[in-house]
Amino acid sequence: MTAVIATSKLSKWYGNVLGLSDVSLEIEPGVTGLLGPNGAGKSTFLKLITGQIKPSIGTVRIFDQKVQANQSIFSRIGYCPEHDSFYEEMSGWMFLTSLLKLHGFSPEETRARAEEALDIVELSTDKDRLIRAYSRGMRQRLKFAQAIAHDPEVIILDEPMSGLDPLGKRKLIRLIKTYKERGKTVIVSSHVLPEIEALTRTIILIHQGKIFAKGDIHYIRDLIESHPHMVSVRCPDPRRLAGQLLQEEYVLKVHFGPDGRSLLVETNNRDKFFALLLSLLVGNRTEVEEITSPDDNLQAVFDYLIGK
Amino acid sequence: MTPNAPITLRSFLDSVGRIFAVFFRQGRRSRRTRFFFLFSFLPVAVSLVIKFNQIFSGKTGREGTYLFTNLIMLFYLQMIILILALFYGTSVCSEEVEGKTLPYLITRPVPRAAVVLGKYAAYTAVTTGMVTLGLLFSFLVLNLDRLFDPSLYGQLGRYLGVLILGLVAYGALFTFFGSTFKRSIFFGLLFSFGWENVIQYFPGSTQRLAIAHYLKSFLPAAPQGRFSFLTFRLEATPPGLALLMLFVIAAVALAAACLVFSIKEYKLED
Repeated sequence: MTAVIATSKLSKWYGNVLGLSDVSLEIEPGVTGLLGPNGAGKSTFLKLITGQIKPSIGTVRIFDQKVQANQSIFSRIGYCPEHDSFYEEMSGWMFLTSLLKLHGFSPEETRARAEEALDIVELSTDKDRLIRAYSRGMRQRLKFAQAIAHDPEVIILDEPMSGLDPLGKRKLIRLIKTYKERGKTVIVSSHVLPEIEALTRTIILIHQGKIFAKGDIHYIRDLIESHPHMVSVRCPDPRRLAGQLLQEEYVLKVHFGPDGRSLLVETNNRDKFFALLLSLLVGNRTEVEEITSPDDNLQAVFDYLIGK
Repeated sequence: MTPNAPITLRSFLDSVGRIFAVFFRQGRRSRRTRFFFLFSFLPVAVSLVIKFNQIFSGKTGREGTYLFTNLIMLFYLQMIILILALFYGTSVCSEEVEGKTLPYLITRPVPRAAVVLGKYAAYTAVTTGMVTLGLLFSFLVLNLDRLFDPSLYGQLGRYLGVLILGLVAYGALFTFFGSTFKRSIFFGLLFSFGWENVIQYFPGSTQRLAIAHYLKSFLPAAPQGRFSFLTFRLEATPPGLALLMLFVIAAVALAAACLVFSIKEYKLED
């Protein structure tokens, strides 16, 4: 398949701070997830490929055209920014039609496209309300609408699901998938693995400004499975529980908390561990005050992967 | 648009026109415009007070033209157009950065310079509308007894032209401030009520470093009177040269603003 977006040795510094380093990759049609913890360089990458900022080194090409100072390319790109920012005094309708007018559509086409986009994101009935009266979820949907209203071939979404409730997320995921079926190229950034996992199998892992891996999502799933997990349990009798847990080979270590009421367990098989823990708690009728997983986030996984 | 299509003058002007249409519409409806519309009507209120005072006290006092030239015009020239140009001019670029709406504009098929010029033109049109209405009402109120004198309307046109030129020149300069400085309002205030208010009264050629000097060069020589101290040091520049200078100032400021906006990477802070 031909690459729609191609970057070569793409690097960006903000003064002495590295934003992105030596990124060479090709993105093909379909949905690609850009996954990384906060501050990893996802937004910098998206701003570079949408020509909002200039690379310090390297090149970006979309449809084999340069992006910098090439306005014509923007009629083929839809961009949904991460910030929750709007022209607050506009209605949703005015916001959308205003941005469509900048593409040079006729008034009739502008109206038709705005109606279609608002219909897609289910905002038609609220189109005449001022944006400042919209809920967070409505604002996210409006932001998505402005990215798709001109029917671009490339759709770039920076954290599109932040602020959406579970139902809203599910709807948006379903919607994004329809663009894949229509042969569009969609890039979605997120720091939440399940969000990306629900969208696509093609992911780019980014961390500390570098592309850590690119490929199938099963790759990162396998890495996560082999990642020793820490689970903290607070209960009245942690010593007894620890003795029972340590009989299993997938429980690697147990540390007792200073308060004498908690223990920190390290395991290399999270699923088996939680099944065991549940059976022990039910079998022993042990009261549990709290179960937390201190490293159950993307940052911890990335730290593990890069060998921190 | 064809791939990698070069930007022609026509396509550039089309882009400016599209930006103008969007922001003229938005600018007319904004809360800021409602507030500044009232502000620009302050001289109308002053004119009404003067007129009512003349009517009810029975004293004719100074004639309307005199009051208009020496009070209302100076109010507009030295305060209202400066404030309007400052708040609208600086906002051309800074409101997009501070409001974090910049990505919506710079990821559209319009050159960044067209964003600056289109918004500048839209906001200048909005402020021109406000000033025109205020000036017209003030003029009519103060000259109620001479409304059928055609020479009055020649004067009105001249005064209005001066104020529009002021909005054009100051607006362009403050657009540049907004594109360049983070605290553009602060620097604009320093310029407006520091530099301009002082330099224009300097004798010799120094006063030519103030925009107000060129604007006042179009006004009739101030007669000796109560308010003549405000303009008595003016060594007027010929109108043709003054007009040229104002256009040069506006063009240079706008070109600089377009350049800065096109190359600067603005940081959208949380």
